[in-house]
Amino acid sequence: MISLVGFSGLLLSFLFSLVIIISYFFYNKKYLGQIFYYSIYLSFFAIIISFVSLIFAYVNSDFSNYNVFQNSHSSKPLIYKISGTWGNHEGSMLLWLVIMACYNFFFSFNKELDNDVKKLTIFFQTSLYLCFTLFVICTSNPFLLNSIEVYEGLGLNPILQDPSLAIHPPMLYIGYVGFSLILSLSLAGLIFNKINIKWIKTAKNWTLFCWSMLTGGIALGSYWAYYELGWGGWWFWDPVENVSLMPWIAGLALVHSLMMTQQEQLLKRWIVFLAILCFSLSIFGTFLVRSGILTSVHTFASDSSRGIFILILFLVVTGFSFILFIFKSEDSHKKLNLLFINKTSALVINNIVMLIACLTILLGTIYPIIIEVLTNKRISVGAPYFTSTALPILLPGFLLMSVAPALSWQTNKLPKFKSYFLVFFTMSILTLVIGYYTDFNIWGFIGITLGLIIITSSILSMYYNSIKFKSKNFFIYNNALIAHIGVGVMILGVTCSSIFQSEHNQTFVLKETKKIGGYSLTLDEIKISDKNNFQELLAIFTLSNSNLDQSVIKPGKRYYHVSKIITTEAGIYHDWFQDFYIVLGDEKEGEWNVKIYKNPLVSFIWFGIILMIFSGLIGIRKE
Amino acid sequence: MTIRFQRLLLIIFSLIFLTFAVLLILFNSKKNLVFFYTPSELLNSNTEINDIIRIGGFVKKNSFNNLGNNQYNFIITDNKNFLSVTYTGLLPDLFKEEQGAVIQGILLKDNIVNASKVFAKHDENYMPESIKKQLENNQYWKKKYE
Repeated sequence: MISLVGFSGLLLSFLFSLVIIISYFFYNKKYLGQIFYYSIYLSFFAIIISFVSLIFAYVNSDFSNYNVFQNSHSSKPLIYKISGTWGNHEGSMLLWLVIMACYNFFFSFNKELDNDVKKLTIFFQTSLYLCFTLFVICTSNPFLLNSIEVYEGLGLNPILQDPSLAIHPPMLYIGYVGFSLILSLSLAGLIFNKINIKWIKTAKNWTLFCWSMLTGGIALGSYWAYYELGWGGWWFWDPVENVSLMPWIAGLALVHSLMMTQQEQLLKRWIVFLAILCFSLSIFGTFLVRSGILTSVHTFASDSSRGIFILILFLVVTGFSFILFIFKSEDSHKKLNLLFINKTSALVINNIVMLIACLTILLGTIYPIIIEVLTNKRISVGAPYFTSTALPILLPGFLLMSVAPALSWQTNKLPKFKSYFLVFFTMSILTLVIGYYTDFNIWGFIGITLGLIIITSSILSMYYNSIKFKSKNFFIYNNALIAHIGVGVMILGVTCSSIFQSEHNQTFVLKETKKIGGYSLTLDEIKISDKNNFQELLAIFTLSNSNLDQSVIKPGKRYYHVSKIITTEAGIYHDWFQDFYIVLGDEKEGEWNVKIYKNPLVSFIWFGIILMIFSGLIGIRKE
Repeated sequence: MTIRFQRLLLIIFSLIFLTFAVLLILFNSKKNLVFFYTPSELLNSNTEINDIIRIGGFVKKNSFNNLGNNQYNFIITDNKNFLSVTYTGLLPDLFKEEQGAVIQGILLKDNIVNASKVFAKHDENYMPESIKKQLENNQYWKKKYE
């Protein structure tokens, strides 16, 4: 019954979208103009009803719905029943539609833009929405009925039963899907040749919002991987991670370009290009992940018809957009104010660097596919490829980042050059000195120096700003600098946690104490308990440092009855400067195998990301 | 500066950077590509001792030994040929005899690998598509996993 309601909602939403498309062409007629807006609202509410009824089916464990049967179980805690809705291919595609409709709905309240541009944007957005709705109805319908009567479901994959993974997909999608609106906006602006101040302001706000959400989504996923997979790391250059990183980098380039063009109205063509690129990369990523071409830990149940559908969608959207881009865009003959080093040239370099980094990641990700098609050999491109290729490419960008916000638009001079140079100099010396006393490593040196330079010079610029703009809101005026400090903090975290990570394989018997890197670790007890839908085994460790401060770490294993899967839960002791990360192995004659990682400064990574998201959201308020 | 000169400058800069990137990619991909074989394919390949390789297959029944101190050895097979593996570290939860596993490590002798990584995928039905095809040819892949 509820599936029927859901499916009707989906169909209605599709039909109302068709009405939007049709009524667009008769907009000037008296009544049809009203219909245009009303059908946006109706289409939006219909899809919401559809989504809510799917959630309802999950919460009620309505196993007559095939999707619920496949991915849920009545013994699951409520929160995972709800999040299970988008924990599978069909449900997540429905979420995709909901978010797409949300963007259309909220965008229809925009008062900034000229009416024609706004309407055409909605037109394009609705066309995209129609394509995706068709995709869901034809290949991934979440409202299929079970042909036989069943009383219990198959359960959700246990490693997905986790709070941070419950919010990860919606956030990620808000980012990914949001780029569709930016694309529609660009195409509309392009056709009417109205990429003006109003357009840029609107585009900037929406892009900043999507980009911040995407950042949050990726970060949540990587935080989840950090504590759930038990591999001691937080980024593995897995294909799925890479495909989310590519639109993120392109989006970052777009955000920068939009922020800059607010000051000087140049580079319009470039912005449109980036906007098209962002959403193309999003769809391309979806294609790679959902078609099953790439194998990764995230593999969804794959189906070749889905792959083909998304591939066609990708080709049509990208093809149409780029053709429009080539034929329609005006060539502005205003010259770029490029000097040896000023803000515009810094921006250009930043964009080139980001796009090339994006390209190398793309290459590394699809290289195995190309090789397999061409030579029938199977290869895998490991993390070392990405770190040793993408990082050197990003290096000049990072270097520039420390001074770019302080550069001037018109002149070739860096104001207060001496103080920045002093920062550069002292930080390099400082790291050299630190490097001398600790393990010296060239990557570690570069990373730490960069991080410190970026942070200190951004703080310096903030200081100068606060003298210059006394009356203005501190956060709004310094939002770019806050983001850059975030990047600096993150670079420090990434460098230290990867270069200075130490790994210990140990065995423990009960009550045994061992010394690990200046700390002593004791296995106090092994506790077995029954939880709602799993049985849990916890090893309780006490960690004490030289000051005898004690803290408890609880790594464990869970056995999920329904799917008969054991998962490992890493135990993490968190403080500002290091993480103690313990993974419990198996037992042999009373001896527990334990793997211990000491990860310095991991918290800096998350803190840096939070700063970036924060400043991204603040940037929306910046005029 | 004229527009033309600026464009020239931009293009030159981009080209230099692109060349640098391409060189990096070429250099790194040569070093960091790992080939993926089943045990039978490995025999026919021109892999040399001390190469890093990835092997996919099944863990042979009764071949798993826990040597203590996180050290293990086991045999990976595709039902035609096999390969002994030694590994130090924690095994993934889903690692079991008669289940699919993928290992990555250094080829020590003709059929001995010292593994540095062992993967057993999250889903017990999981197998990379290409490996599955290969195993189907050897009549090892159970159809019911489809």
